[in-house]
Amino acid sequence: MSDPGPGGRHAHVLTEDGANTPDRPWIFRTYAGHSSARASNQLFRQNLASGQTGLSIAFDLPTQCGYSSDHPLARPEIGKVGVPINTLDDLHVLFDGIELAAANTSMTINGTAMWLLALYLALARERGEEARALRGTTQNDIIKEYLARGTYIFPPDASMRLTAEMVEYCVDRVPQWNPTNICSYHLQEAGATPEQELAFSLVTAIGLLDLLRERRRLDDAQFARAVGRISFFVNAGIRFVEETCKMRAFVQLWDEVTRQRYAIADPELRRFRYGVQVNSLNLTEQQPENNAWRILVECLGVLLSRDARCRALQLPCWNEALSLPRPWDQQWSLRLQQILAYETDLLEYPDLLAGSPVVASKVAALADAARGEIERILAMGGVRAAVEGGTMKSELVRSMARRVARIATGEQVVVGVNRWTDGLPSPLLGGGDSGMFVPPSELADEALAALEAARQKRDQGRVRAALDALRGAAVGGENLVEPSIECALARVTTGEWADALRQVFGEYRAATGVDGQALPLDGARMAALRERVERLCEKRGRRPRVVIGKPGLDGHSNGAEVIAVSARDAGLDVIYAGIRLAPAEIVASAVEEGADLLGLSILSGSHMELVGEVMDRLEEAGAARDIPVVVGGIVPPADAEALRARGVRQIFTPADYQVVDVVERMIDLVEERA
Amino acid sequence: MSLFEDARPESLAERRRIIGELASHPRRRRARLVGLTGPPGAGKSSLIAELAPRVLALQPDWAVGVLAVDPSSPISGGALLGDRVRVRFPPGDDRLFFRSQSSELELGGLGRHTFAVCRLLQHVFDLLLVETVGVGQSEIEVTRLVDRTLLVLSPHWGDSVQLMKAGVMEIPDAAVLAKQDLAESGRGAAALEAELARRGRVLHRVSVRTGLGLEALAREIAAMEPPAEAPLTRREPAFFARWVAGEFGRSGAAALEARGGAAAYLAAAGDVEAAMTAFPTDYRLWLAD
Repeated sequence: MSDPGPGGRHAHVLTEDGANTPDRPWIFRTYAGHSSARASNQLFRQNLASGQTGLSIAFDLPTQCGYSSDHPLARPEIGKVGVPINTLDDLHVLFDGIELAAANTSMTINGTAMWLLALYLALARERGEEARALRGTTQNDIIKEYLARGTYIFPPDASMRLTAEMVEYCVDRVPQWNPTNICSYHLQEAGATPEQELAFSLVTAIGLLDLLRERRRLDDAQFARAVGRISFFVNAGIRFVEETCKMRAFVQLWDEVTRQRYAIADPELRRFRYGVQVNSLNLTEQQPENNAWRILVECLGVLLSRDARCRALQLPCWNEALSLPRPWDQQWSLRLQQILAYETDLLEYPDLLAGSPVVASKVAALADAARGEIERILAMGGVRAAVEGGTMKSELVRSMARRVARIATGEQVVVGVNRWTDGLPSPLLGGGDSGMFVPPSELADEALAALEAARQKRDQGRVRAALDALRGAAVGGENLVEPSIECALARVTTGEWADALRQVFGEYRAATGVDGQALPLDGARMAALRERVERLCEKRGRRPRVVIGKPGLDGHSNGAEVIAVSARDAGLDVIYAGIRLAPAEIVASAVEEGADLLGLSILSGSHMELVGEVMDRLEEAGAARDIPVVVGGIVPPADAEALRARGVRQIFTPADYQVVDVVERMIDLVEERA
Repeated sequence: MSLFEDARPESLAERRRIIGELASHPRRRRARLVGLTGPPGAGKSSLIAELAPRVLALQPDWAVGVLAVDPSSPISGGALLGDRVRVRFPPGDDRLFFRSQSSELELGGLGRHTFAVCRLLQHVFDLLLVETVGVGQSEIEVTRLVDRTLLVLSPHWGDSVQLMKAGVMEIPDAAVLAKQDLAESGRGAAALEAELARRGRVLHRVSVRTGLGLEALAREIAAMEPPAEAPLTRREPAFFARWVAGEFGRSGAAALEARGGAAAYLAAAGDVEAAMTAFPTDYRLWLAD
């Protein structure tokens, strides 16, 4: 087929004298936030001063999961992966000296997206700024939280209702806001193929738009504008040619869906608008300096094709597999964007790929495969049924396992990991901090003090009334944004807002994706492990039992799930305890289940606190000697040393990409005790 | 408890000692045994998570144990036991206990060691909930273990003819139709209820999401009388016969039958552990005859 350019728009062609309208630069963002509102405000100002043109706020896990900082599950996680926000007072501090109308603010927030939007709107009200002028994005894609990221709170119906109400609220009142940003990003991080990324994120969007139509709260013109505000958050991996084609396929498919399924006439409202964070999954702990090149190449996938160029870009940092990035690392990534936009001639040309038969056929192949997958999911009852039934999750776990297996066999080359592994020591890892960032832990107390202060000075009667009104509206099916804004103004806390809705909606436990899985890890080594386990069974009279779970609030469960399935395939009985566990719960599980080994997975950087507490509780239970503990996560060497000193027997980091090795070392430990 | 999942003959003496001690312990309990069975995804685990705390609220002095059996992989022999994710009890409440168990390729929904573990747990808990996975006739085994069987079905169970064909309707003392908050939940429920009524049994309609019917079901369980004796004693012959068949095949089972059957053999040996210790030798002698 001929490629008329994505979206049916004919590609620009240079005039004879080379004249052409240059493209505007995309928005430069850095995903940032840590420790406290004050520290994050300083970081934001510093980033804006270095030429960043939009903000991308990282919230800490308690804020994302709907807990105030003083909740027992929250304490070890305060300020670790983002900024803690407890009340409107924190938001005042976070945006101190930053004009809202001039900012374009992206918030990575999902389970509590409505709450953060309400806080932002309340902040504008108290500062006397117009809601109509606010620009930005609340991520608010709950489906991928159930599938990959884990910061959901409520069951799917209630969560989808919150999203729909935000769209309905914003369409006239905050018309420049993107109330939801459908994410294919996390699907790729969870192992999705390009076809799955296209299909899963588009059925997510279809699920939301179908719901909006069913609810009939919007007239046709409002609905069309709501469609125009749906934006996407996409991942760009290292196979940058295929990624470019994927982006062109996205543009084409979204135009199709909005035209055919929703009859949107205005092509502007059918535009596929997307932001990008390039891939973190393939950033390596080994020879981490190579990641700088990977990030550059991954950028090309979303920048090369003007017709499918991203609107906003945020880059990870070269050392992400080692630790959270330092401000300098973030600046280095920002400089890359500035070089691409201002030094190169990238923005001067119309679309470079239009008319390429190679690109056209690849785009067509991806789009066809995605169409088939979309139809299949819609025929099964749509995205909600696929999430609740666990089918999408299972497919992702399978894709991830295939990827892991390809790297393990060397079929997929990863430089520095399975090829050219000997390298000179990196001087970038020198310096007092060894190239790592450790958020100052004393700043957690600042968040707690601010929370306490806000509680002391607020009008308790207004708080009670605001929470009652919120619950009432939740039960009565009214739009919850305005009652949430009143909660924000009254200095209701994040935990109180979420608890009020938990009382009405209940809490949800998503499908784990581990049921019925088989991983393609067959081979001589796996067979040998099975034999060893069989011999262990005979020797001990019973099958070894391993408990695997994730303490803390981090919901990135893919790693833990792959290990759980692999250990089962090696013949172990695996008790998968799931995510969001208090240390006391996970220890109770290990003791009640008579575990021969306890495996903990923590990616939020809270491993010191959480593992410490697990070890304390194991000792209290008198089980510290009987149950060896292994930990998986992003654990810097110094922390690994400290964890070993606390009695942790094995530590697995992203360098341990061979799943068979991990399972083997687990079996070694079980054998040792037999 | 791991000792009771130990297949080695050496473990029997220790098991016998523990059971003996527990059975005569002044503070021993006598568990009411309730089985929950039904197809995968019917909502058994979620139901247990809601029922157990409700029963405890009605009977604050009880200790409640849950034993959840999941299938093992026929290829690796290992199992992925995920029910714990769905059954989350309030942390710190030591009146609640949860244990996962793999089926070790046994048919019938129970694991190879389920009976042995239940013999231990019956002395430690006031209520023991045994969760088994099963489709069609394979749930039947659990009815031989417990005092009361609840068949848990989701609204997608199909029509009652299907159920009767599968023989499922012979199993339960009551059926629980879960997920009653779903829109399509009304379909077929009346036919199922009529079929159960014909057999003198009831249908509980419950929803974990809305709380519908949970309190009533919890009250019924909380009102169960404690068994007069250690409840599994009278079930021992059946499970001993099953163990013999599992370990020594048809010829072992036939030999046991020819020598008077499981009940007589158990009575002569004194108890289950003694019988399990003695049988292999006896069987070899019989074969040599």
